[in-house]
Amino acid sequence: MSPLAKVTGLSATAGSAVLVDGVSFEVFAGEVTALVGASGSGKTTSALALLGESGSGVRLEGDVVVDGEVVVDSNGPTAKAERLRGRAVAYMPQHPGSALNPARRVGATLRELERLHHPGQSVVQDALRGAQVPGNRETLRRFPHQFSGGQRQRVALAQALTCRPKVLVLDEPSTGLDSITRLQLAGELRELAEGGLGILLLSHDLGLVRELATHVVVLNAGQVIAFGGTDVLPSSWEPQSTGTTSAGKPLLQAMNLSASIRPRGRIPVLHDVDLTVDAGNSVGVVGRSGSGKTTLARCLAGLHERSTGQLLLDGEPLPVLRKRTREQNRRVQYVWQEVRGSFDERRPVDQQVARTAQRLRDLPPDQAHAEAVATLARLGVSAMTAARPPSRLSGGELQRAALARAVLAEPDVLICDEITTALDDDGTALVVDLLAELKTRGTALVWIGHDLGLVAAVTDHVLVIDDGRIVEQGPPATVMTAPQHELTRRLVSAARLGRPETPPTPPSDTADTRSEPRR
Amino acid sequence: MRARIPLAISVVLVVVPLFIALFGPLISVDSNKAGLPYSADGVLGTDGLGRDVLGLLLVGGRTALGMAFGAVLIAYAVGGLIGLVAASTRHRWLDEVLIRPLDVLLPLPSLLVISVVAVGWQASAPAITLAVAMVNVPTVARLVRAAALDAASSPVVEALRMQRESWATIQLGYVGRAVIGPVAADIGTRITLAVFLVASVNFLGLGLSPTASDWAVSVSRNREGLLLQPWSVLAPAILLVSFTLGFNLLADRLVHHTRRLAVSPV
Amino acid sequence: MRSYAAGRAALAVVQLAVLSVLVFVLTSLLPGDAADMRFDETLSPEQVSRLREQLGLDQPALERFLHWFSGVLTGDLGTSLISGGPVSEIVRDSVGATLVLTLATLAVVIPLAVALGILMGTRENGRLDRAITSVTLALSAIPDFVIAVVLVAVFSLKLGWLPATWIGGSLLTSPVLLVLPVTVLLGRTVCLLSRQVRAGTITALNADYVVQARRLGVPRRRLLLRHVLPNAAVPGVQELARTGDTLLGGVLVVEAIFAIPGFATALVDGVETRDIPTVQGLTLVLAVAALLINLGADLVCNRLVPRTELLR
Repeated sequence: MSPLAKVTGLSATAGSAVLVDGVSFEVFAGEVTALVGASGSGKTTSALALLGESGSGVRLEGDVVVDGEVVVDSNGPTAKAERLRGRAVAYMPQHPGSALNPARRVGATLRELERLHHPGQSVVQDALRGAQVPGNRETLRRFPHQFSGGQRQRVALAQALTCRPKVLVLDEPSTGLDSITRLQLAGELRELAEGGLGILLLSHDLGLVRELATHVVVLNAGQVIAFGGTDVLPSSWEPQSTGTTSAGKPLLQAMNLSASIRPRGRIPVLHDVDLTVDAGNSVGVVGRSGSGKTTLARCLAGLHERSTGQLLLDGEPLPVLRKRTREQNRRVQYVWQEVRGSFDERRPVDQQVARTAQRLRDLPPDQAHAEAVATLARLGVSAMTAARPPSRLSGGELQRAALARAVLAEPDVLICDEITTALDDDGTALVVDLLAELKTRGTALVWIGHDLGLVAAVTDHVLVIDDGRIVEQGPPATVMTAPQHELTRRLVSAARLGRPETPPTPPSDTADTRSEPRR
Repeated sequence: MRARIPLAISVVLVVVPLFIALFGPLISVDSNKAGLPYSADGVLGTDGLGRDVLGLLLVGGRTALGMAFGAVLIAYAVGGLIGLVAASTRHRWLDEVLIRPLDVLLPLPSLLVISVVAVGWQASAPAITLAVAMVNVPTVARLVRAAALDAASSPVVEALRMQRESWATIQLGYVGRAVIGPVAADIGTRITLAVFLVASVNFLGLGLSPTASDWAVSVSRNREGLLLQPWSVLAPAILLVSFTLGFNLLADRLVHHTRRLAVSPV
Repeated sequence: MRSYAAGRAALAVVQLAVLSVLVFVLTSLLPGDAADMRFDETLSPEQVSRLREQLGLDQPALERFLHWFSGVLTGDLGTSLISGGPVSEIVRDSVGATLVLTLATLAVVIPLAVALGILMGTRENGRLDRAITSVTLALSAIPDFVIAVVLVAVFSLKLGWLPATWIGGSLLTSPVLLVLPVTVLLGRTVCLLSRQVRAGTITALNADYVVQARRLGVPRRRLLLRHVLPNAAVPGVQELARTGDTLLGGVLVVEAIFAIPGFATALVDGVETRDIPTVQGLTLVLAVAALLINLGADLVCNRLVPRTELLR
């Protein structure tokens, strides 16, 4: 079988900087080729070469053939490249939902692409079906802002499919999806490939790649360091169960916790949630995006003020953050999910981290700084990196810095809200390791996440939350092996994505349950 | 948007009229001794009333620029305060009470309001200053509120509270710094706008007395004599334009600067 | 969309009510009244107060307001204290010239500003962009009246090419009368608007959705017209209210300089003679016009980019 797209010896240079160096890969009809690597490894630059596109000041060179036409040669992109855009190769950016024109009705753009690429044919309905968007008149007359975040991604996919490309490029499609949605995505992409489309998947999500890819190309700093089947991927990291069974006395208790967003309690998001965590113990809270788990975490941290019910710390009532004493403030710390927004962009990260120890533990500045640097180093963030402002750190580095910022308070209760979403396996291991050590010193953990597999491995007790209510709870082993609730069952199968020993079962309902991507 | 004009030129454009406005009255030439109208006596000749143009120029800047600066100062004192209180209050009703009335005032034509007020208190510089300030209050309040709200509702503030930073550190160290950028850029454009408004009112004869030495009044009064004695019109006009042009260029530079700061790679 | 329009229109009604109170209060605050102005100091205080009674100026402010406001609702703006005729007549007589002046200016400004803005935006930081930017920046720093005075001196007085005033002329017979006034009004408004359109164009050109459309093979011309333009216009339309304010200020100045018998001239006359009903009527009509421009701008914005929130 001849490849739909063949890239040979592609290099991209910007001035003296080499972005991509001698990269080669092929995309075949009906198969998935994955480009794997961290951000900045040259995945996107390589993939955009299929469109003959390069950033300003970037020089492309090599041999790129798409659908029998030369798109890039030794002189850079050719004139033919432009005609192949959409028709031969369609690219889906990282957050496809934001790539819809707010001023145009969805149908207008779809019909425009139809006229451009396939005049006289009607391909829109097929494309909508392929992207699982209802094809009725009302849908087509809507504007992008009238769709939910998940639907917007589907509409963007429908736009790409309307062009009837031979090759579909997907840039980090699983970013920001919860585990169940990610499982659905995997199923949909497999279906598209089975329909004859060649898919080029750019991802650092190894689970997804293992699940889908036939061909894998591993990139590092612009060079191919491995290629072949999924066996070239590093073996998946299995968190060591750090559960303890020693029951301490209850440290943090929440009783009948209900909360709403918007003033005057318009939209309830939590209903009568009970939660108890003992000293030296950990509780996991698992749910989909929008299930209320972040609100629960913010209630415990005292940041969400529109709530009813009771919070106790050591049996004493715990008020909202504004009214907490300094000691209470120190004892309960929260690690943000949206890390980039939680750092002041004008000050170096290490100084911001150190402030916790200064303000809450009265350490002198130099000592606080030394402790901040040591903690960050333990989490794999070098002192040199940490001395920069937040904009110069990667999402994963900032996520670890946010953890360090909370840990410096020496808290008794640490609430971690999705703190590993931007981390690779190595980073996750460092974080889990540090948290395990804190636990042995008596710190209680509340771990919020969407990945039941990870949460079950690192906690002693798991709560499954859906629509603001706890639908199931128990020890992790029980929840994983004998799930009772429908949602839990789906979370369990989603957690197995990309683990070859137990093939995932597709979700039982096919309705559109994809929810808003996390912001 | 960036016009490639050296910083030094913009500064000179602003400083020269500013310097004349500030120190001109100290070296005042006797401008009231009447000579022939539109004659070539003196360095810049005489105006329509036979007064020395240079002498008028030296004292005429105080009202032309001073009223504009005063108006922007008052607009920011009042509007800025309203905006900050509206943004920082935890009571939604207070926010509404402060901001909603301003929405109603927003569409009032500014020159109209100022004209009516100015005539009411004929030739009174403080009244015109107040009126110019008043028409600027709604936009200033909304701008400050939006900028402060943006900063105050960000997770950074929550993170700082979680670290138990003091109220002053959070408000001055973070929220304040975030507001300063847009405010500084706005003050730049707002001052030129105020100079325009004040000048227009005075030019129309609705403001200061028609014999006042004010630059805009001078342009208005001597416009028939432009061809007889060009300096009587051109000199005050050039000073006015020099100031607004220089200020525009500086404000443009500032907007550019803050925008560059705000865009951080993700 | 429809509910947005309803909400926005409701706000406009509230604004209108508050505005009319404000106009009344503001004009009533003017020290001195027509009785003072109309007669010189030889009149005895008794005669002045009798005159006040005659003109209804002795009644309490609230009563006067209610009387005036109920008149406004039925289209009766009151009676001029100076001419003795109805204010609505003064409005009708003066509105024509102002309307022609404004519309003629807008007819030139809008296409010119959009064209310049897109031209600059698509050539961001190119030589042409820099040149136009510098010129607009400089031009927007020159007050209307300075431009007007210089243009009149050069083209009317010195060269004698164009008439300096409207006196004795009618627009229908000689549109050449409009050339200088419109040129003066163009300056700042074109600068203001074209800068907004330029900024909107640049933002839209770099937006994810335009990049994606290009990657899906939409050709450049179509991209500009269908994908960029509707979004690029938004900051310009949003700025229309402020442009309107600038334009109105300019019209006042231009009418005064070229002796155009329009709204501004009537207003200035009314203010100078303390003819309060006339001032109230004219001010109210102008305020309503400004309010409608604002309403229209918001609705057009909402139509262009429907996610625009109310009052944001």
